Amino acid sequence: MGLKAPYVTNYLTQHFADDAFGQVDGYVARGGYEAARQAISRMSPEEVSTLVKDAGLQGRGGAGFGAGLKWTFMPKGNEKPKYLVCNADESEPGSFKDRLLMERGPHQMLEGILIAAWATGAEKTFIYIRGEYAYAAKQLQRAIDEAYSRGYLGARVMGTQLAHDVVLVRGAGAYICGEETGLLESLEGKKGQPRKKPPFPAMYGAFGMPTTVNNVETFSHVPHIIKHGKDWFRTLGTEKSPGTTIFGVSGHVVRPGLYELPLGTKLDEIIFEHAGGVPDGKRVKGVIPGGMSMPILPAGQLDVPMANEFLRERKSMLGTGGIMVMDETTCMVRVASVISYFFRDESCGQCTQCREGTGWMNKIINRIERGAGSSEDLDVLLDVAGKMEGATICAFSDAAAWPIQGLLRHFREDFEAHVREKKCPFPASFEL
Amino acid sequence: MANITIDGVQYEVKDGRTILQALDDLGLLMNGVDVPHYCWHPKLSIDGSCRLCQVEIKGQPKLQIACNTPVADGMEITTANERVKKAREGVMELLLVNHPLDCPICDQAGECKLQDYAYEYGVAHARTKEPRRALKKRVDLGPTITFDQERCILCRRCVRFTREISKTSELTVNGRGDRSVIETFPGFPLDNDYSMNVADICPVGALTTKDFRFKIRVWFLDDKPGVCTGCANGCNVHLGVANNQVYRYVPRRNDAVNETWMCDEGRMSYKQIGAPDRVQEALVRSAVGGLVSTKLEGAIAAAATKLRAATSGGAGVVAALASAHATNEDLFVLRRFCEALGTETMGVAVPIGRADELLIKAEKAANGAGARALGFKDAQSVVDRVKAGAVRALIVLGHDALAALGGETALAGLDCVILLDSHHSPLERAAHVVFPARVAAEKRGTITNHAGRVQRLVPAIEPAFDAFSEGEVLMRLGQALGLAGFAPGVSFNAREVSRAIGQAVPAFAGCDYDAVGDEGRLLGGAGAR
Amino acid sequence: MSEPTALSKDSCARIEREMAKFPKKRGALLAALHIAQEEHGWISLGLAKTLAAMFEIQPIEVMEVVSFYNMFYDRPQGRHHVYVCTNLPCSLRGGRGMLRAIESHLGVRAGETTADGRVSLGHEECLGACAYAPMLRVGETYHENLDVEQAKRLIDALE
Repeated sequence: MGLKAPYVTNYLTQHFADDAFGQVDGYVARGGYEAARQAISRMSPEEVSTLVKDAGLQGRGGAGFGAGLKWTFMPKGNEKPKYLVCNADESEPGSFKDRLLMERGPHQMLEGILIAAWATGAEKTFIYIRGEYAYAAKQLQRAIDEAYSRGYLGARVMGTQLAHDVVLVRGAGAYICGEETGLLESLEGKKGQPRKKPPFPAMYGAFGMPTTVNNVETFSHVPHIIKHGKDWFRTLGTEKSPGTTIFGVSGHVVRPGLYELPLGTKLDEIIFEHAGGVPDGKRVKGVIPGGMSMPILPAGQLDVPMANEFLRERKSMLGTGGIMVMDETTCMVRVASVISYFFRDESCGQCTQCREGTGWMNKIINRIERGAGSSEDLDVLLDVAGKMEGATICAFSDAAAWPIQGLLRHFREDFEAHVREKKCPFPASFEL
Repeated sequence: MANITIDGVQYEVKDGRTILQALDDLGLLMNGVDVPHYCWHPKLSIDGSCRLCQVEIKGQPKLQIACNTPVADGMEITTANERVKKAREGVMELLLVNHPLDCPICDQAGECKLQDYAYEYGVAHARTKEPRRALKKRVDLGPTITFDQERCILCRRCVRFTREISKTSELTVNGRGDRSVIETFPGFPLDNDYSMNVADICPVGALTTKDFRFKIRVWFLDDKPGVCTGCANGCNVHLGVANNQVYRYVPRRNDAVNETWMCDEGRMSYKQIGAPDRVQEALVRSAVGGLVSTKLEGAIAAAATKLRAATSGGAGVVAALASAHATNEDLFVLRRFCEALGTETMGVAVPIGRADELLIKAEKAANGAGARALGFKDAQSVVDRVKAGAVRALIVLGHDALAALGGETALAGLDCVILLDSHHSPLERAAHVVFPARVAAEKRGTITNHAGRVQRLVPAIEPAFDAFSEGEVLMRLGQALGLAGFAPGVSFNAREVSRAIGQAVPAFAGCDYDAVGDEGRLLGGAGAR
Repeated sequence: MSEPTALSKDSCARIEREMAKFPKKRGALLAALHIAQEEHGWISLGLAKTLAAMFEIQPIEVMEVVSFYNMFYDRPQGRHHVYVCTNLPCSLRGGRGMLRAIESHLGVRAGETTADGRVSLGHEECLGACAYAPMLRVGETYHENLDVEQAKRLIDALE
């Protein structure tokens, strides 16, 4: 039941076809834990943070914040215990790369955690994995146990002065726990409702202690940066977005799956050259480039390099690199219905705009899909989306608004056709 | 301290406060500077979820919520411009998407923040064509509170109240997203000493008290400032008055006394004002033994005669048992009365009950501290003298002394018992003359709480029958007896007596009726406890 | 069905081991709910009280957590959970069609349990198997790249 290795591999996934890479011996035999040893024994914590910052590693959990910079927000000194949290709550529809990284390369991630622990002075890491990822959790727990038994975790990591513990925590099915403060609440055994900021996690995080939260993939890149250096890392990807990432391609393509490619690889290259294009000779209608929260791009805009600096120009973002391809039969009102249902279902319900706006949008969209919409409904929809943007505790409300805005920006005609014809004019589209 | 600018005006505010807290500290919030809010409450933790209090801060691209944004030196805040107004309109419309808009049948109408802000921001309803959430109506949350899930805007003030203030945790939000609802755990109803506060802090008509629900429309009520006299804490209240009748107590904010809360028992004590067992006329014991209703003048004359006869044997045979429900002014007149009669045997009876760490005090009367500060000893000292046969005449205020006396029969052998009381009690059986006393809501005067804070009572209603402040009765009686210091023709004036206390008793200096205002003032030196 | 109220010694011991992993034992509440559910299949009010006592919190603080997470159940469940992913990537490849077919095959709607208590059917919002749609999970086990007939056979084989 584990995932297969990606169709295209690079440094992160080069050994993923090899089952042994997931075991401690196999990992060590392929150079594993050498980067951690090097960082802990030969570099100061500041040097590690600086190296990762200079390498330009952007967080791979969706927001793209600089990883090394984030580490420097942690207070110096040891008055309070400090924690790392590995965000393994991968729940963004269209995204399944972290699952691969945990199932096939758990030690790679643990090594990244050790290096981050050295850089930040954290004594413990909580890995918060979504409850549905039972198999990945099992692989990870096995890897953690192996690491303890071989001295890669515990009191004196590899005989160095670093002491570090790792605790695996299972979620229980709530998308919002992928938001870093929602995750912290859940980690504390509560409802996963995001915290208002300030205070920020670096000052007041898990159990009130200074905490840095990084994503599974972010940690997995770190050993490679230590091993090969910042200049090497910057030879991959774009100037502003260095390194590779693992794109997940789904929907209407010949070869749905995972592809580790440099950031900045063009979207149309990923879809047509790597994933084999659309089956049955059909054409692309639209593509969501970065997981469901990110606005859709129409067929005419697929020549975009997959990096934030380019996607932003097209009013979208890289997000988690989950690419969803929709062919010409697809009804974009149905797409809006599925998306708006998801956000309605997953809203934590704290903030007014998000709680009420997600439900309202979903009801309007469903009515339009049934053929009972009016043209004013489209304006109301855009207006509600506007009200949900930029005014809530966390970014979920924005994430719920953006895809609907994107669909109306590029496929307003689909909505208007429903209004005009008083029914769904796309009989061949996927079933709702 | 930080210098901040709000709508062009500079203020100096404490560091570490958020914008709303700073406005609250300055006394400006909704009182000069309108920053509407639902989830924020000055005495609860910051929630930050309603998103209504957004303001513009110079240099910040997004609007920020005032409740959770810390002030910083040089911060320039705009609370009212087109952008802010538009953001608030947006929140208001979304709050109304699922609201039933049943104001005509909602008991909160008239004191509903949803109604108020909807009016203010010109959003009477949302442009929704969708069916509204159908949820539970009239949910019985516990003995005191009824809940309407449909009207709830999920500000979670009530949930935070039960976790942070009453520390009973009966309420929660179950579910998530637009399926979120406030609920209790089956078998664990909302039932604590402070449960009714959740109705006060509910900004909409979702939580209402069973007691006040549908009694009267709030716009007919006149809010009069007063003090709860149910215990020694002296929680500040507003008395809701209409047609010369008190319909409810709601807490009035006083950060030094009760913050914004009061206990349920105190809240319900308003019922004693209009209780059927009020003493409604003066009573004089007839020759055949029964109490006969009499006009005040007749009762004064009868009391004077009795008292004169009883004290003919000399000073020291008179004693007074005061009530801790009486005001400082009533007690001061009693003290002068006793002094004129040459007795120092003055005690105060204070009923004792359960206390807690929040507001409820063990002394179940408002003015025990005041009585002690005015020289009244424990009731027991008087009771001992009565039982020793050293007392021939006794003046009793209220019937709290019953417990210390061990029943009214302890007074059976006395020559003269004069009782001034607001409510009937077995003590009347031992009384020769009974005067109808006013209750706090009908009186002017001051009382002194457990901490020595002198607070004032402003008459909110007139009694429906002839009832009198104890001070007034004693004044007239003193005049009838021709006692020293009781000049004829002078009527009882609580304000003047209050000033006289300040001159006669050093601890009360500066604590007279007018000086203490609506917030009260601490006694100087002794008396505070 | 009588409502469970107690946890086995083994479950209690496991919960205590989880508590020890956190700076505050409350951190182990989700783990404890998973463990309690492994034993009883759902979280009854009685179990919530038992857990509340272990964690020194109010029962309502247990139930609010149960109400927030999809994987915790506040009512009895079928012997098997069949959850079909219906989010966009799966829907594009027939996930919702597969769910409808299973609904009519079992005679229950998503969110319901078959009359014989064999299967509780549900839908999921993305299980992270986007490239392997349509898919479903039976309990914790993923079944990917299914067609309707395979799915029916899989479900029929559940005891």
